[in-house]
Amino acid sequence: MEKRLIKKDALAGIAKKMAGDFLVWAPVKKEDNILFEPLQKDAEPFFAYLNSKNAPKNVFFPHTETLIKYTRTEKGMVFSEDENKAKDAVLFGVRSCDAHSFALLDMLFDQEKYKDGYYIAKRQKTTVISLACVKPPYASCFCTSVDGEPVSSEGADILLTDIGSDYLVEFVTPKGEKLTKYFGDTKADAASETRKTEIVAKAKDAIKSKIPAHEVKPILDKNFDNPFWATIHGKCLACGTCTYLCPTCHCFDISDEVKGSDGVRLRSWDSCMFPMFTKETSGHNPRTSQKERWRQRTMHKFKYYVDNFNAIACVGCGRCVMSCPVNIDIRKIVEDISKL
Amino acid sequence: MENIETKLREEAKRLLLEKKADVIIGYEKGTLPLTATPCFITIPEEADKLVWNDLCTQNLAKFVHDLITAHKNSQKRVKPEDRKKKVIGIVARGCTTRSLIIHLQERQYARDEIYIIGVPCTGYVDGKGLKVAISGADIVEGSIDGGQIKLKTSDGDKSVALKDVLSDSCKTCRFNNPIISDVMVGQNAPAMNHDSEYNEVNEFEKKSVEERFAYFTKEMEKCMRCNACRQACPSCYCPTCFVEQSQPQWVGIGENKTDTQVFQFMRLYHMVGRCVDCGSCVAVCPMGVDLRKFLKKIDKDGWELFGNRAGSSMEDMPPLGKYDEHHDKEEFIFNP
Repeated sequence: MEKRLIKKDALAGIAKKMAGDFLVWAPVKKEDNILFEPLQKDAEPFFAYLNSKNAPKNVFFPHTETLIKYTRTEKGMVFSEDENKAKDAVLFGVRSCDAHSFALLDMLFDQEKYKDGYYIAKRQKTTVISLACVKPPYASCFCTSVDGEPVSSEGADILLTDIGSDYLVEFVTPKGEKLTKYFGDTKADAASETRKTEIVAKAKDAIKSKIPAHEVKPILDKNFDNPFWATIHGKCLACGTCTYLCPTCHCFDISDEVKGSDGVRLRSWDSCMFPMFTKETSGHNPRTSQKERWRQRTMHKFKYYVDNFNAIACVGCGRCVMSCPVNIDIRKIVEDISKL
Repeated sequence: MENIETKLREEAKRLLLEKKADVIIGYEKGTLPLTATPCFITIPEEADKLVWNDLCTQNLAKFVHDLITAHKNSQKRVKPEDRKKKVIGIVARGCTTRSLIIHLQERQYARDEIYIIGVPCTGYVDGKGLKVAISGADIVEGSIDGGQIKLKTSDGDKSVALKDVLSDSCKTCRFNNPIISDVMVGQNAPAMNHDSEYNEVNEFEKKSVEERFAYFTKEMEKCMRCNACRQACPSCYCPTCFVEQSQPQWVGIGENKTDTQVFQFMRLYHMVGRCVDCGSCVAVCPMGVDLRKFLKKIDKDGWELFGNRAGSSMEDMPPLGKYDEHHDKEEFIFNP
């Protein structure tokens, strides 16, 4: 694996240089929020951030995406593909937990049985550059409980680790190696790798928030009807904050919007927290209340995904914990389930 | 505060023991530092969980409406003579009681279906504002003592004056003490700085149409359509919001700029005479959209044009909820 060193203050310059060549998604400070957005000309990326407000999943799985366009004509429907074809892009500076989420989303969108062309096209054209958490940003981070690590190359093509005065740049995949020219020519020495090993261990130890994420799977297998499910949702507002900010939540809705003879078919985020979620055309909803919706959310992350892909659909970023308006804490839910 | 908390717990216990209420909606300590979260107490022993402090954010009236609606739905198939009444106890400060008044004026439930435990309020901490005050650092631990918030953060120890990080709604609140209550816990709190409640709106009104629209556009671009504002609002209780209606479809489902604007301004206009400036929508918004600027303008218009402040008294009906020749300014309504 190719490894190099770059000076810490060179990072923003590299991102900006890349932005001249292709689409670069980078953390940008917008008023009080840090968001992953396409880096505009003259804009400064903001790498001194804890983590972004929104998960960068929108790069591959946007909130709203046009699937097809169509026009009704006398000769029948004329279809056209969306002009927003996937472009060469770089996702610059995502945290290890968020990069981990891409590996999890790949299992679903790019599996043997179903291939999601829209997702895959963007994923293939985008190089993911991770910015490891040498110091875990939040007290509520719990990546180590859900098969993650604060410094990890999982889901990344290039991994950047702050080793003091420099960043150690590791080109993890062939896709990452294609971008070596942007990172100078200082080869990493043995000392910097030793330093990284120390940092990895230290960062891992610094994650204090732990949840029994693996322990709950056999319990969930047997407790679909447990009265426990009635204890979570009372205060839930049924808003979509947790699912919209979540790096792994991926439920979507498909709808047609038609004006005159022209129509578009849109895919947009759905949320299991919405009362409309899984509501059928007849008006019937198999999930009758927020109780069933919360069971779905928990089961999906800690049971169904494990059943289907042998992986927990949570990366421990803590966004839902920190942003839930009524402090419904997934860590506590998992903890409580482990005691059932 | 602690004294109020003790009394509040005693009162809640008494209500449950005497079966004067089936559930008490209040606040308990949250799992994150410096947070309180809504809770539902149904057995007297649990009343000790209740807290009352500067971190109690949500307007709990929303849950009153939810619980009563759910209860009424559950009674629909029960014979009228066998139907049970459910009484909801609620810990309510000024703005919460205003929302309850609106529910009562709009005949959502009867006065005897709720039991109001009034609490004095000196304002709650704006969580997002506090984050900004400490430059976005992560709060590891925190406590409030003598008007100072002391914090252990990812950026070291910090201290912030409580009055600086109160919610904007609280800083200029006109009704911080309960307007109606069945029992009052603690003495009324001193008035907040309500003389300046419209300062921001006055400034905003001076701007040109283009500038105001540019501000509206900028704020609405932050919105990700999670619906948290609507869901937290006690006045947003339509069984099906227009946003979710499909025949006809009023608003597109996606993250379209215009659709988002339509959702937001339609919601804003549904708040005429119904927004109590509790700040819940602002507090829950994950993206920090400045909804209050527009809601406060609507509130100001309600006061200046109709002499009404939403939910400020049981007798004073909201401008869109009363029709009589003594109050309607426009003559054409009666002499077309």
